[in-house]
Parts: sequence; C-alpha cells; structure tokens
Amino acid sequence: MTELQAERGGDLSAPPIDVKSKRLRYIDLLIAIAAFAVLASLPFLFSSKALLDFVIRCAAFGLFATSLNLLVGYTGMISFGHGMFFGLGAYGFGLIMQRTGVPVPVAFLGTLVLTAVVATAIGAICVRLKEIYFAFVTLAFQMLIHSIILSWVSLTGGDQGLRGGIPRPKFLGIDPTNHIHLYIMSCALLVIGLLLMRQIAQSPFGYTLRMIRDNASRASFIGIDVWRAKLTIFVLSSLFASTGGIIMCLFVSGAYPEFAYWTISGEGIFINLLGGVTTFLGPMVGTVLLLTLNDTVTRLTEHYGIVLGIVILFFAIGLRKGLMDFAVEWYEARRGDKERAP
Amino acid sequence: MTKSRKPGISRRSALALMGGTAVTFATPWVAGAQAKTIKVGMPTILSGRVAQLGTSSRNGIMIEVDKVNAAGGLAGRPIEMVIRDSKGQPQEAARVARELVNTDGCEILIDAEASSGAFAVHEVARDLGVFCVHTNSETSSLTADPKQHIPNAFRTARQGVHDSIVGGGYAAAIAKAKGLKKWATCSPDYAYGRDTTGEFVYYLKQFAPDVEIISEAWPKLFQPDYTEVVTKILQAKPQALYSALWGGDLTSYIDQANIYALFTQMEVFAVNMADYTALTVVKNLPKGIHSGNRYIKTYPATAENAAWGDAYKAKFNEYPTNWSWENATAMMLIAAASKKANSADGKKLAEAMKGLTIKSPFGADGTVTMRAEDHTLIGYAIGWGTTIPVEPYVPEVKSGDWKQILALEAEWKKTKGYT
Repeated sequence: MTELQAERGGDLSAPPIDVKSKRLRYIDLLIAIAAFAVLASLPFLFSSKALLDFVIRCAAFGLFATSLNLLVGYTGMISFGHGMFFGLGAYGFGLIMQRTGVPVPVAFLGTLVLTAVVATAIGAICVRLKEIYFAFVTLAFQMLIHSIILSWVSLTGGDQGLRGGIPRPKFLGIDPTNHIHLYIMSCALLVIGLLLMRQIAQSPFGYTLRMIRDNASRASFIGIDVWRAKLTIFVLSSLFASTGGIIMCLFVSGAYPEFAYWTISGEGIFINLLGGVTTFLGPMVGTVLLLTLNDTVTRLTEHYGIVLGIVILFFAIGLRKGLMDFAVEWYEARRGDKERAP
Repeated sequence: MTKSRKPGISRRSALALMGGTAVTFATPWVAGAQAKTIKVGMPTILSGRVAQLGTSSRNGIMIEVDKVNAAGGLAGRPIEMVIRDSKGQPQEAARVARELVNTDGCEILIDAEASSGAFAVHEVARDLGVFCVHTNSETSSLTADPKQHIPNAFRTARQGVHDSIVGGGYAAAIAKAKGLKKWATCSPDYAYGRDTTGEFVYYLKQFAPDVEIISEAWPKLFQPDYTEVVTKILQAKPQALYSALWGGDLTSYIDQANIYALFTQMEVFAVNMADYTALTVVKNLPKGIHSGNRYIKTYPATAENAAWGDAYKAKFNEYPTNWSWENATAMMLIAAASKKANSADGKKLAEAMKGLTIKSPFGADGTVTMRAEDHTLIGYAIGWGTTIPVEPYVPEVKSGDWKQILALEAEWKKTKGYT
C-alpha cells in the first residue's frame, strides 16, 4: 500500500500490516485505560492537593507539547507560534462561558470549532513556507493574536486578562469547581487526547507526515498533496493545543495574555527538547520533567533561570537529545549488546 | 573472557538516579507538620525585569513581621513568611498561591503580584476561601468592580483612580496659573498606562476645561530606545507633558530626553517620578518635574515616616519603594485586626479588618483605613510636588484632599456602573 492510497483512506487491503497495526491500537487502548485508572486512583491513595494540581497542569502542558510534537517531530514543521492555540483555547472557552453561560461541553466544542477556523486560516498561509520562514511566520501570527488580546480591552480585558472568574456550572454530574472532579476530567481529556494523537501518528496519514518530513519533494512526486497534509496536521494539532488551554483556563479560572505569548511556545519547544521528539511519549516525559523542575527549583531558590539554563545546556551539549530519545537508544544499545554476546 | 565496563550508565547509577528523581518528586508533596506558627504565603515577582517589585515588597513586609513576632505574633502565634517567585506569569502565580495554601499550609496569602497575576491570585482566594491581602495591584477594578468582590480579599495598595483625581486637580491648578493649554501624553502601552493616562486627562479637563491634548505617544513597556517618542513630542511643541512611565522606563526616558533638553521646553508631569527607584537612578535629574508621591520618607513629613524610611535603609541598604509601604501596611493591618479579633483565624481577621482604622506612618493624617464597603485602602498620604536633583528630592508636596477624592471616586464608580 502506498502512502498515496493510505492517505486517501484507500480500501486496498494489506493484511500483514493491518493486523499488526490493529493489534498495536488494541495495546494503545489498553495502555490508555490502565494509565487513566492509575491517574484516577491517585486522589484516593494520596491526600495531597498539590499532586492533583501538578497532574492537572501536566495535562494542560502535556497535550500542548505533544500536539506541538506532531508538527515538530512527525512533520518536521518547527512552529514558534503554537502557543497561540493554547491562548485561543483559554480565551475562547473563558469568553464563551462568561458571555453566554452555555453548558461546559458546548463551550468546549465551540472553542474547538473556533480554534479550527482560526488555525485553518493561519495554516493556509503558513504551511506553504519551509523551515525558518515557517517558524517566523507562525511566530508573527502568535504576536498578532497576542496584540489583539492586549488591545481589544472591551472583549478580552487587555493585559489584566479575563477577570471575575470563569463560571463553571455542573454538567452530566461533573462539577468543575470541585477539585477532584476537575482532576478526573483533566486526566480523561489528557488520556483521550494522547490516544487520539497516537492514532493520528500511527495511521497511514501519520506515516505520510513522516515521509513529508524526510523528503517533501519525493512525497509530492508520488502524488501526495503536501500542502493539504501539512494544513490538516496543523489544524489537528491546534485542536489539542486548544484543549490544553481549556484545561488551564478551568484550572486558574481565568485567561491571561501570557497564555498566548511567545514564551508559551518557547516552553513547548523546550519541553520537546527535554523529552525528545523521536518517541510519542517524549513530550509528555518532558512536561513532567519541566514542571517538576520548575516546582522544585522555585521552592528552593529564586534563581530559577540559572538552574534552567544549566539543564538546557546539559541536554543540548551533554546528551544532545531528549531524555526519552536517550533512554530508548540506551535500551536498544543494551539489548543489542546482549544479542551480540556469545 | 574478561568483563568490560559497558558504555553508558551502569545499573547501579541508574538506580541511584531513579531514587534521586523519586525523592525530588516526593519532597514538594510531603506537607509540613502543622505547628503553632502561622504561615503566611506570599507569591511575588523575584526574577526578571521587575524583580525589584518582589524584593522591595519582601523587605517592606519583613520589617513589620519582625516587629509583630517580637511582640508575640498574631494572637500568640509567631509568623513564618513563605515567599515564592511567580516569575511574573499569572498561571505560575495561581499555582504558587495554591501550593502555598494546600501544601505549605499557609493560612494567609499576601498577594504581592502585579497586574494580571493579582487577578489570578484573586481567583485562587475565591476558590479556596483563604484570607488574602493584595498589596501591589493598583488597578481600580480589582476592588471597585462588584463582580470581583469576595469577602476574604482586601487591598492595601494605592488605587489608580485616586492618583488620577489628585494629579488632575494639581495639574489643572498649575495649568490655569501658567496658561498651559496644549498638552501631550507619553505613557506605556498597556492597561495601567492607558487607564491612568485616560483618567488623569479626564480629571485635568474637568478642573481645567480649556486644556487640549495635541499629541499622544505610547511607547512599549520596557522599550529601550525613546528617541522617536521624544522627537515626536518635541515636534508637537506642547506646553506640558504628562507621563505614566515608571521605574527603569521612566529613568531611561528622562536620560534620553535630557539630550534633547526636553525638560527646559515644557512643564513635565510624571506621576511615578517621586519614588527612590527613579529618583536615585536618573543621571541628571532635572529640576522642577511635577510628580505624585510614591514613597518618600519626607512625605508625610512626620517623625514616624522618617524613622520608618531610615530603619529600612539601615537594614537593607536601599530606600523603600512604593511597594515597600504597601506591603508593610498589609502586615500592620493584619496585626491590628488579629489584636481586635484576638485570633489569627482568616474569617475572623477578615471580619475585623473591615472598616479598620490604624495608626500609620504612611497615612495622610497619621492613620489609614480599610474601607468596609469595597475592602480597599483609603486615607494614605497622596500628593504632588516638584523635584530637585538632591535629597530630599521633592522638598514640598501639596497634599490631595481626601474628601474631594472620595466624592469624585464615588462619581467615577457610578459612571463605570459599579454602584
């Protein structure tokens, strides 16, 4: 089966691959259910509210960073402006809840639709460009959105953010103002989000993306519409980043212009650097690593920047790859050693 | 066959690494044991460009905490401050505030955040119901807007609208006396800059209706080069200039405008000039800049205020800032409320704090009051004067009239739909 047929959802059956991928999907689903079960049981094992806060933030940033990896790691599109969708999610959701008072799921879907529309418009312009040009135009759009948030004071509250709290009414028996309910909801969103992204990454479309990353001209020569594929993944990944923003909005009960600032995009890139871009869970590991680092270092010293700088240097010059990349290579090297051993 | 050391990490060091990571993970979540001490959490900005906000807030409050502890603490419980950096990010401010309450067991929050961070901490106070005092946010809506109001949060900072009323009245008097009709403004391009400038101009025109704004410049916050802004103002040839620039922005603006001799060509009103952070940093402080008081140890000209400023200088080897007195006031009020309620319980403190008047070195008449209706500070020293290049920097300060301030503030609240 060629990438072309795969991408068009071709009905050619290719039994050996299909069986294997079906089994893989089955395993993914099992892992997801197990992970959710573990996360959901945490509040009953530990009484620490800070642990729950930590996991909620991991869900927000983890979804954001993993969605960025769909662009950076899988498609080779290094976006410096991915944070705009995080901000858009937070503001979209916050504004819909404050202004209309619709139920949470409706606001959630509305925010995703809004994000998809904006991402399609921005992506249509950006994905034509390559490498550094793509990176900088996405950054420019991010700053545009940030400026709009700052200057449209009557709607967004300017640099003070959305004030007065986000109404969080009950829905389907879930009460987002209840810490444990919010926690379980964030975990569910995280696990479902990761599972969906995993499906995208492992689908024929996901392999098309890898091909575009490795050689876009070749992909184009065999008939793949590179622009459409890039735009599709740009929009899809924006939806997951937006979901991250919604979780953050619920967590802080507000939305602030910093959510759409370039530093959020920078943090996403940094998380990917830390965790590694060659494995699917790399960014998730990076998120846990960065947030742990942040929380621990902030408790101990106010010279957070210097510690973070040293860690970046360690990863960039010492390991020269993310933690998960390193771990996978190390594991494979070990196994290779054993297999070679007499 | 000899065994050779394999490349990479050995199993033992890998285990050690994992153990280390586990410990690092676990430490923040092991809650501290509840002792007799009362923990007071303080999220603030201790790194980056406005780190001085955090350090001088910390200094300001520590002076008072030491006094309270020396006198036996809050209802017999010594205070332990837990001060943590939010790096100026609202989501970090919210996280740190929650962590301080949930993990560190803080029973009181001193929110020494600026701008959006204060609103983020306000939401935490709303969610957790913890007693919270905002000490640095001057944004009027934080307490004026009834949507923001929660019973457990108070503000001990000055308020933007108060400054504008006093500044507008002062400037209008000078405008009338000197015939200053053509005005220009130059303020940082964000909510604080836009709001205070708008309110200042509004009150200036109320008091002196024939004033006209002929040029507006909005430099970016933390802009390094003000050449185009300075030349734009000079070309417009105004008779007077208003600026809400502050801190490093204000000092670099003055240094750069000095090159063009801007200060000899017009009257300058800079609301944030009379703060030691600006006064002591400018290379050639021009004579005769009009400024509102931020913190200055000679105004109010009382022995208490001078002693407080000197004690601070002796302890930290620098003069207090506007943030210092605002945070010190928070601790003074908490101590007085705790005495009144004979308790350190948040709910009782909040009840006792409403409408509380205390003696204060920073009061216009020697006292400050926590207004009951909207939980914000009134009666603090507020006035305008002109600068000279040496200490005391602003020799004479013309005090604002609190009766007038309160009357105009009530009107302003009505126009905003707050009352």
